[in-house]
Amino acid sequence: MSIQDVISLLPLFILTAMAVIVMLAIAFWPNRRASFWLTLSSLILALAALVPAASTVPRHVTDLFVVDKFALFYMGLILAGGLVTTALSRGYMDKYAGNRGEYFLLIMVATLGASLLAISSHFISFFLGTGIVSLSLYTLIAYNPSQRQRIEASLKYLILVGAATAILLFGMALIYATFGSMQFEQISIRAVQPDQNSPFLLIGFGLLIAGISFELALVPFHMWTPDVYQGAPAPVTGFIATVAKAGIFALMLRLFSHASLPVGSPLWNEFAAIAILSMLVGNVAAVIQKSVKRLLAYSSIAHLGYLMVPFLAQGQLSPSAIGFYWVVYFITTLLAFGIVAAFSDPVNELDDSEAYRGMFKQHRWPAVMFGLALLSLMGLPPTGGLVGKVYLFAAGVQGSVWLLVAALVVGSVIGFFYYIRVVILMFSAPPSESTSIGPTGKGTSVVLSILTGILIILGLFPTPLIGMIAKIITNIL
Amino acid sequence: MASIPMQYVLILSAMLFSLGLIGLIARRNIFFTLLSIEIMLNAAGLAFVAAGARWAQADGQVMFMFILTMAAAEVSVGLVLLLRLYQQFKTLDVDAAKDLNG
Repeated sequence: MSIQDVISLLPLFILTAMAVIVMLAIAFWPNRRASFWLTLSSLILALAALVPAASTVPRHVTDLFVVDKFALFYMGLILAGGLVTTALSRGYMDKYAGNRGEYFLLIMVATLGASLLAISSHFISFFLGTGIVSLSLYTLIAYNPSQRQRIEASLKYLILVGAATAILLFGMALIYATFGSMQFEQISIRAVQPDQNSPFLLIGFGLLIAGISFELALVPFHMWTPDVYQGAPAPVTGFIATVAKAGIFALMLRLFSHASLPVGSPLWNEFAAIAILSMLVGNVAAVIQKSVKRLLAYSSIAHLGYLMVPFLAQGQLSPSAIGFYWVVYFITTLLAFGIVAAFSDPVNELDDSEAYRGMFKQHRWPAVMFGLALLSLMGLPPTGGLVGKVYLFAAGVQGSVWLLVAALVVGSVIGFFYYIRVVILMFSAPPSESTSIGPTGKGTSVVLSILTGILIILGLFPTPLIGMIAKIITNIL
Repeated sequence: MASIPMQYVLILSAMLFSLGLIGLIARRNIFFTLLSIEIMLNAAGLAFVAAGARWAQADGQVMFMFILTMAAAEVSVGLVLLLRLYQQFKTLDVDAAKDLNG
């Protein structure tokens, strides 16, 4: 491994080294603040290390990884998501009586795993990345194990993700058996051989897509999502909904830019069916939810369905549409779950939507922030969600995938119902007794305000970001 | 020594995989659920080894080592969760944990 390789992987090296340091710090100084500040600073350092790494791209580092601008963009997004989650967890975890050093360590390791997925170009690093993320999340979800909901959520996640990983591996094995190589580029090179349509290949890719859809929580592999999102601590739910999915999505983009998906082929149809079902089922099922976290869970299922539209359209606008929507989705989802986390502690979460009634009267600015986050999820101005959705729509139209675009529109319309219901609840008259939960943590409101500000700016002036993304992601799809 | 055709080993690993999947779905005891996950992971590993042997590469067995490592780590966390499940619900029956409906 040359020095250039080390520089291009510098963010990951920093995260790994700091993980070891945080482990030692937890052992020697069981002080509450040390691991939080160490994790925060290591994520900031890793983000800063993207700059020297960007000077060495594009680069193949061993057979397993490829570092290019696309990978660094998604890695930056993932690191930022981990950073925001850490900052939002501080106030939340202040109320936890037990050890909380490990919480921040696990967030850092999970971020490391997701970054690994963004640069992966081989089945082994794919498997390792998902394995690292999943292992960290099993413990993170169960982080207050004296609560029945947490254990149940973590068990459901363990069993289903374990099965999903096994399905993924079996698909990978069949693809390897057909092509003789586990590297993504080799798959595209060898795909011209006569055994193109062998049954092993179709089954292998089908199982691979099923495994990926499990992790991305797409219908019909979504059954774990509402329970796990509801049972996990709110900041961890925000993490699962954003960072864990972004890594796998980036890897999926890279894999299918090499293994081509011609429109109308069986695999494309499989993906299209999954996307349409996600958009429709995700939105319809959210209408009847009373719990805010389950509502947000179903909404994230639907949003991943929306993200599949430009992926399947495979047009010229697709890579930048996907990139822009991921940025907006990250900001919105972290903002939404951050507000839920700001009003929760590890024992009582602000989950019931009735608890949000009249929030505007008591906590003005958080209610406005949550309202803006919901507006963005709906896709209404002045938030970035509007621009993102228009961009997705444009990419879908450019690829002429009419059924998918129709599902996008229908899904968004159905989505209005449940988002607006929460907004109305917040701005309606408060109940006779006031909620005693107040916002926690000094850092939390600053971070949330910054996120809201970025969301509005992206809604009003999206062009700089769109231009930047279009310049960065030019070589995928 | 005649080599076994890859298809036979893949069919064997598919059968093992489906056995594990059925065990995962049908069993109520969390312990057997974790065991079934192990069976599924190892079946996938067997498929990798067979594929590696067909192409005369070491990659299949390297992947199997990674699978074993990851499965071991996962099952260790799974056993901790099993302990916590027993502490909280006083039973190893997975169906006892149904506070989160749906």
